[in-house]
Amino acid sequence: MAPGTTASGDTIRVVVGLGSCGIAAGAQDVKEAFERLLGERQLPVTLGVTGCIGACHREPIVEVYEPAGRHVTYAAVTPERAAKIVEEHLAGGHPIEEWTFQGEPLKAEVDAYFGKQTRVALRNCGVIDPESIDDYLGREGYKALGQVLADNSPEKVIETLIASGLRGRGGGGFPTGTKWKFTRAAPGPKKYIICNADEGDPGAFMDRSVLEGDPHAVLEGMAIGAFAVGADEAYIYCRAEYPLAIKRLRIAISQAEERNLLGPGIAGTSFSFKVKIKEGAGAFVCGEETALIFSIEGRRGMPRKRPPFPAQEGLWGKPTNINNVETFANVPWILRNGGGAFAAMGTEKSKGSKVFALAGKIKRGGLVEVPMGITLREILEEVGGGSDTGKPLKAVQMGGPSGGCIPARLFDTRVDYDEVTRTGAIMGSGGMVVMDSSSCMVDIARFFLDFTQKESCGKCTFCRVGTLRMLEILERITQGKGKMEDLALLEELAVKIKETSLCGLGQTAPNPVLTTLKYFRDEYEAHVVHGRCPAKVCKPLLTFSIDPAACTGCTLCARVCPVKCISGEKKQTHVIDQTRCTKCSSCLEVCKDNAVVVK
Amino acid sequence: MSDIHLTIDGRDVTIPAGSTILDGAKALEIPIPTLCHMEGHTPFTSCFLCVVEVEGVKNPVPSCSTAAAEGMVVHTLSDRIRQTRKLCLELLASEHTGDCYGHCHVTCPAGIEIPQFVSAIARGESEEALRILKRRMPLPSSLGRVCTRPCEAVCRRGQRDEAVAICSLKVVAGDPDLDGERRTVPECAPDTGKKVAVIGAGPAGISAAFYLRQMGHEVTVIDGQETVGGMLRWGIPAFRLPSHIIEREFRQVEQMGARLEFGRWLGRDFTLGDLRAQGYDAVFLGLGAQAASSARIPGEDTPGVMPGIEILAKASRGQEVDLGDTVMVVGGGNTAMDCCRTALRLQKGKGKVILLYRRTRAEMPALEVEIEEAIHEGTEMRFLAAPIRIEPSRDGKGLAVTCQRMELGPPDSSGRRRPVPMEGSEYVEEVTTLVNAIGQRFDAAALKGSEEVGLDRWGNIASDPYTGQTSVPWVFSGGDCSPGDKDMIAVWAVQAGHRAALAIGQFLGGEEIIGDGYEWYSTIGRPGDPAPKAILDRLTPAERARMPVIADAERLSGFVEVELGLGQERGRVEAKRCIVCGCLAVEDCKLKSYGTEYRIQPGRLAGAIRDYLLDDSHPKLLLESGKCLLCGSCVRACAAHGKDVLGFVGRGFNTVVMPSLGRRLIDTACDGCLDCAKVCPTGAIMVKPGATTSS
Repeated sequence: MAPGTTASGDTIRVVVGLGSCGIAAGAQDVKEAFERLLGERQLPVTLGVTGCIGACHREPIVEVYEPAGRHVTYAAVTPERAAKIVEEHLAGGHPIEEWTFQGEPLKAEVDAYFGKQTRVALRNCGVIDPESIDDYLGREGYKALGQVLADNSPEKVIETLIASGLRGRGGGGFPTGTKWKFTRAAPGPKKYIICNADEGDPGAFMDRSVLEGDPHAVLEGMAIGAFAVGADEAYIYCRAEYPLAIKRLRIAISQAEERNLLGPGIAGTSFSFKVKIKEGAGAFVCGEETALIFSIEGRRGMPRKRPPFPAQEGLWGKPTNINNVETFANVPWILRNGGGAFAAMGTEKSKGSKVFALAGKIKRGGLVEVPMGITLREILEEVGGGSDTGKPLKAVQMGGPSGGCIPARLFDTRVDYDEVTRTGAIMGSGGMVVMDSSSCMVDIARFFLDFTQKESCGKCTFCRVGTLRMLEILERITQGKGKMEDLALLEELAVKIKETSLCGLGQTAPNPVLTTLKYFRDEYEAHVVHGRCPAKVCKPLLTFSIDPAACTGCTLCARVCPVKCISGEKKQTHVIDQTRCTKCSSCLEVCKDNAVVVK
Repeated sequence: MSDIHLTIDGRDVTIPAGSTILDGAKALEIPIPTLCHMEGHTPFTSCFLCVVEVEGVKNPVPSCSTAAAEGMVVHTLSDRIRQTRKLCLELLASEHTGDCYGHCHVTCPAGIEIPQFVSAIARGESEEALRILKRRMPLPSSLGRVCTRPCEAVCRRGQRDEAVAICSLKVVAGDPDLDGERRTVPECAPDTGKKVAVIGAGPAGISAAFYLRQMGHEVTVIDGQETVGGMLRWGIPAFRLPSHIIEREFRQVEQMGARLEFGRWLGRDFTLGDLRAQGYDAVFLGLGAQAASSARIPGEDTPGVMPGIEILAKASRGQEVDLGDTVMVVGGGNTAMDCCRTALRLQKGKGKVILLYRRTRAEMPALEVEIEEAIHEGTEMRFLAAPIRIEPSRDGKGLAVTCQRMELGPPDSSGRRRPVPMEGSEYVEEVTTLVNAIGQRFDAAALKGSEEVGLDRWGNIASDPYTGQTSVPWVFSGGDCSPGDKDMIAVWAVQAGHRAALAIGQFLGGEEIIGDGYEWYSTIGRPGDPAPKAILDRLTPAERARMPVIADAERLSGFVEVELGLGQERGRVEAKRCIVCGCLAVEDCKLKSYGTEYRIQPGRLAGAIRDYLLDDSHPKLLLESGKCLLCGSCVRACAAHGKDVLGFVGRGFNTVVMPSLGRRLIDTACDGCLDCAKVCPTGAIMVKPGATTSS
């Protein structure tokens, strides 16, 4: 039973957001507080759970649905606040407006946050109880599958997908319908479907949210895909670091099997479809389809040369269709609403909507789903609310560690596969890490390369050794030991690594370096030529000193200095011994007179 | 399936459908380098060395796994491909943790295959040892006595106990050949009809003659002195290097057919033009450094002041020299030590010899053992002082040397601390003879009438550092007269003669003149750097052989050789201390040969290297994973053999190929088929010497 309706029509329903983000913010305690309080008071209130609604910056979130139709959303609920909500709202009938999305001051923010969003893949997230198939069925769940099986025309399904213009949401951007067509056309009686849920980009949590908030949508999308390509068996390759997603998937699979929506002879037809879960062991490269297949087969997760593509030769050598979580989650909606409805959104070559995970120096971090074609500026400034530090935004890293840094002056770039690629970044799976003027772009490039370098599987020479050499050069530069030749060497390595790697990891790993070199070369040169880090991030390049005009001789800095390199009498100007200073910033943090100067 | 037609490097080829570009290239016999491809196995595509360009395809593609397609146009030799392959090899070389050669070998200026000759001695094959030595250095008995031994300074054993006595082992290999019965000279190629003149019968000249004769060229060696040896004879005292050793060893070139002429000086008796007129096709100038350097102080020409080399040369000829009772030797090098010890002998042990050096003992360029010998024989060492003026003493019988005290300042360009004069510290020392042993230089008088040969900025003969070719194409030079920027020691002169001989051969054959040619090789760190612990842990401590010497009483009475030599038995024991650094697979290592072919410079990519891992547990196989390229060939070969003993362990840069779960090879199902070692492109998996396939 979907929330928003009630069982008897006369009880209040309280729904606690129990996505990983909510749980991390303390939602489990909040839920227990409600259980206890409602039990103690014997109120006629039902308590439910749901997934992430996307506004992760306001978790824990609790929804209250009243029989009369009133619906309020409480933000940042604590067990203490829960007590007051029970007291004043659930028992007393008076919502505490200043804590809700619907009341001031949050209303304006929430309107901005959700106003520009279009929720297709996330249509049920934060709305239904992900552990209840009835909730899903109440939201038109499995209707698309039923319709597809009734029509019994795989070709028509594929046509609809092609008409929708849906492209792979995992980062590749390959047209989904075309991929299905290839797999369908591949000879052989045995075919597989794989759902890639090995979401590995740092700062990305689109797939996790969908799996935790709406697992049935993914299963339904997979079943439709299986019917279309002629597969009868599937794997969901999900990283083991997503225990809640795996738990909810298992529940969803068994519920769907009980209702004959998965398993043998689905809904009385001859179509059978079995879904298994394979937990990944945390190797980033296993998000690459050929490595992923090797991993399912119990072999080392190392990519191989394509072609042959998995559509021709995939799992156990059989034709295999691989899509990612978000792609599958879109499928039932497209089948219900028609390819045209999906294609009506977005740009010429990028249709529909896309989920992004907003993170970094942004006011409203979280999960947003926006129509393709929206500008980065709209996402960052209107949906995300701009910088959370008061300092101007400088760049956004799109596409995770494989992506690139898009500078603020290109924020009018539209969310479109080709437009984003032109900047040097990639659409990727939807990670957006936002940087403000306090971010050092050389250090950012070093950070992302450090990730990909460690995640290289070690197979291809250029990726294995080349990324390490690039990282070493970036480390030298951030330590003030860089040379101008290093910049040329970085570019030489970057280009060759991109050209000569088997998989997406190597082909994209240099992107953060190439884009920062392209857009922020002045910062590299400041490090190398002038020994200066303009963002004041790279410690070895900084000097801490005390401004005699501002120092009041309070001795606080000298007392916190861990290496005791600050000297000075009480009420006298203090001095930092540069030869011993470790640049730990302790003095800067404690000085009340802003006398510590960093250059 | 039908055939496919494609074009590779402008040539058409037809191959069966399903073939790869590499197959096509093979059919055309176009060589494409690859490290990970194995015939008969599914392509693995990890090394990316086999990349080629395909028209219409943006990026280079790996030819081993890219299917050939109808009408494909492939280029295998474009600049872009060459650069990509070069960078690929540089990346692999930059992570490679392996020694192609022993550090002694790569440090030896002459490039002697030291571990190999030492091993031969350890096996009791001193003739084989001599053969190996002479591949790079024809004068082991002479150089073995006087070399400054850069090889021993980097010997890995020195990091655990003491370096192997490499230099003395050369004598062990060389001396039996001079005793009369045995005579090992290499075979010479048939006559080429080309005539080469070698000017100078020192180590450079004789080395050049030795290798030129092997190539079949007619060689005439011309020297102004009365016999062979050059500076080894006239500048090194007989108690260190006896004349008869030089005489026999240097004259081996006569046995090889070279003609030796003495008493004629270039510049005095003939010119290069004369040689040209006499039909010589090429000349090697090994003229040496005959002139003593000046101290540039007032009174240097006062009677009683003598250059060190003059005393040494006289002593070598057995001439008596009256030095008086107090001799002061100025300098800190080996020549200064030789002068002190020679002076002590000329005084028959009855005089006093003072060594004056402007820095301290720690900065002396002389070998420690030479310093010790000089002190042992009675030299008084005076440091931190230098002569600034020489006058006749008041009684007119000797010299009054005004000296100034020094203190050490900051390091100079040589890295040694610079001596700084102390104001007002002058004092006078009364001596009978002052010997200047501060160095020699090339005497340009030799080029009188041959001025077409250009000089470098130091006034020495300018020559190409790789070929020895001078500004006159048919004239080559090397050794002390043409040191370039090297600190010339005898073994450098030997190398210069060898290298010039190769270059002269190339010149005479109309080939490209490249001298020794380019060779890329790998070392773990730089020679002398701390060795991986696993290497040192293989060493069982063993004391270095002590060199037996004559009794002290016998020393100063004459010029008898002080060192008695290790002898065959002691030498064999000493040779067994060598752990034979270097790679068993060096001869057929693909990384090394491609690295050389592509002239890689991995230094620009220097950074972290692979861990040095050693699995010595198996009776037939030796695993050194630091040399692994992760090509997976052994993994596939082992799987094909049905064993799956080897696999990839770890991720990314730290990936190694080894048995799973940290087991040693001996603890696995390995049956010793050796297929893994056969397919390894480097020396990561090697067959131990003597092991065979049968289990």
